[in-house]
Amino acid sequence: MSKVVEISPTTRHEGHSKLVLKVNDAGIIEKGNWCSITPVRGVEKLAIGKTPEQVPKIASRVCGICPIAHNLAGTEAMEASIKCEIPKDAKMLRHILQLANRAHSIALHDILILPDLYIPGTEVKVNPFTPEEPVRSVAKRIQRIREIGQTIGQIAGGECIHPSNTRVGGMYRNCSEQAKTKMYDLAKEGLVLAHQQAEFMIAVLRNYQKRDWVDVGGMKVPLPKDLGYHDQGYLATDAFYGSSSLEECPSWDINRFKEVRPWDWYMGEMEISLEEPKYPVGGTTKMGTKVNPQMEACTGIPMYDGQPVEVGPRARLVTYKNFDEKGTVGQNVAREMEYQDSFYEMIDCIDALNPSGKVMADFVPDGDGSLGWAANEAPRGTDVHIARVKDWKVQYFSMLVPTTWNFATCSAALVGAPWQLAEVVMRGYDPCVSCATHMIVLDEDNKLVAQKLIQ
Amino acid sequence: MGTELGKYKLCVSARSTNKKLLKHSQDGGIVTHLLAFALDEGIIDGAIVAATKEFAKANPSKIMRDNSNFDFPEPWRPIPAIVTTKADLLAAAGTKYNLSPNVSMIKEATRSFGLDKVGIVGTPCQMQAVRKGQLYPIGLRDVGASIALAVGIFCMENFPYQSILQLVEDHAAMKMESVKKMEIGKGKFWVYGKRGQVVQLPLKVTHKYEQPGCHVCLDYVANLADISTGSVGSPDGWSTVFVRSKIGDSVWAKAIAAGAFETQPIEKVKPGLELVTKLANEKITKNKATLEERKTFGVGKALRNPYI
Repeated sequence: MSKVVEISPTTRHEGHSKLVLKVNDAGIIEKGNWCSITPVRGVEKLAIGKTPEQVPKIASRVCGICPIAHNLAGTEAMEASIKCEIPKDAKMLRHILQLANRAHSIALHDILILPDLYIPGTEVKVNPFTPEEPVRSVAKRIQRIREIGQTIGQIAGGECIHPSNTRVGGMYRNCSEQAKTKMYDLAKEGLVLAHQQAEFMIAVLRNYQKRDWVDVGGMKVPLPKDLGYHDQGYLATDAFYGSSSLEECPSWDINRFKEVRPWDWYMGEMEISLEEPKYPVGGTTKMGTKVNPQMEACTGIPMYDGQPVEVGPRARLVTYKNFDEKGTVGQNVAREMEYQDSFYEMIDCIDALNPSGKVMADFVPDGDGSLGWAANEAPRGTDVHIARVKDWKVQYFSMLVPTTWNFATCSAALVGAPWQLAEVVMRGYDPCVSCATHMIVLDEDNKLVAQKLIQ
Repeated sequence: MGTELGKYKLCVSARSTNKKLLKHSQDGGIVTHLLAFALDEGIIDGAIVAATKEFAKANPSKIMRDNSNFDFPEPWRPIPAIVTTKADLLAAAGTKYNLSPNVSMIKEATRSFGLDKVGIVGTPCQMQAVRKGQLYPIGLRDVGASIALAVGIFCMENFPYQSILQLVEDHAAMKMESVKKMEIGKGKFWVYGKRGQVVQLPLKVTHKYEQPGCHVCLDYVANLADISTGSVGSPDGWSTVFVRSKIGDSVWAKAIAAGAFETQPIEKVKPGLELVTKLANEKITKNKATLEERKTFGVGKALRNPYI
């Protein structure tokens, strides 16, 4: 007889989400639903009628973790719609900005997953906030990497959280020779730290992988070797930056994408029949509570070729670098492997940047209403923005955010794991839930359907 | 009043020991030489100063181009610029007697210019803005800690560019391009031409051209700067210097030790602190009247007196 258990809210990630799990007698998940319960912001609706300059700035405010990816994808979607090519140096600045964001986001993710992992050779879980070594120096290194990422971001983009320098048609201004040198020095420093940090994290993750059981709130939970495995396939548009419909051979195809309603995807109304007060923090939801993921979930389910796919660091590594490790640990290892790569690429971009070069296109068209899209590889996956601009006004805007792609994929990956480890699987996706919450839903005929949940 | 000169650790009359620099400078070359010294010593790695059209033309990457100066501007319109070398500093030296929005560059200095230690020159109101930005860094993330040296200049009031245009071209009957130097001193507004002509206008004439916003300011000697300076109180070619903060004190001590300035005790020079005090009180009294006047209109939102 399967039972239903709910972990709500899930912790140590951005946003507000929950896990509704149908488990068997042994506590193994038979069907898992991971759903966002962050309220809808309506950025897409806000965007309509605004100028293309405003929309990426608004879109970036959807979240503070990867605002740079939203800003860049938004700006480039506008450029794709109005068909505006930007100068090379503006591109370089955007690349640097995006990689800086990736570097400091991975560092943040490390802090969030470390409490799940063990110090190798001990039975002690890592507390990243302890003043004791060896964790203290790791925490300091993480802070320094974040500082480096943010400083480089604010030189290249004006601001490290919501970059102010991006413009439709290029960038507001180029940086000075001195600033270029500063970015270079910081990236070099970051590279050394990233190597150390990745090595540490991979060692800790491998140690976790070798264990037979783990402790969750005093419960001894067996650790399956296939934790987080799924067969959903991967989607990545570039090893580092992204793609857009302006390119000759774009690496994403809008015609292969479709979005369905959570109503058609998630489980219906159920009653909680398993409660575990020991589960950190504060136990799971009380027995007898009614849950209804269909109605509570606030995300659409995007599909590529008719299936949910995984996006993120592993998808990028699988697509572009022949990485082949499955499961949650593989995903986290892939993320750590991107660490150094992002600094190497950043250094190459800084080398290629000409500080006296032009960063604004000579002519920025007003737009003729054609559809344009741009994909940006955010730290946690492919962020696609779709826009239609006519006479310098946005007519249509849609955001397809990394974690939206991952919601359904992660739900599939939960199957076969002990329910106590569902959060560990979920954290492997480095979820950023708040920006994933959108309800632009298309039916089979690609028509916008009534938005049940908002009404 | 007793508070009109603000808090200071030291007050002297000083001038730069660099003769070449004195040729470019307004009075004692304090600001230019102090910033040059700070740049050399690594106390700052760049400074925000008021530069000219010529400078902007030669160094378009060192200014911020916006709607106000997109087409290269008129002569004597100050343009905030970020300088990182002594040569640039010299090219930008001298007082321009109209509004230069230097504080607008302060964030950009730490962003696309990549400065870690910023020096800034400004009028008393600009010093207030800088300090306020440090206290409440809204929209100025990481900027406050990067401000390494703030040099204030004495200011009675300022002129919009159109006013200077009117004063020079109409009252002084001189083309803007042919002006070599402008100066306020001895109760007169002086305009020196490149061909050697000198025109003096009584200050009375200039009053109606002042920026009305200046008439609520109660700070004459840049009370919130690290070091403030101006010609008033010292003989010709010298400047009065107030060293105010710990930072100011250490920079000034190093500059003196390096022989950057020759100084005289302020008590020994004419007209001395007496004149500075008199003018400061004049400004405060005059502007307090404006403040009182403003209390009577609006909805009870009279400006706060910064001294209480």
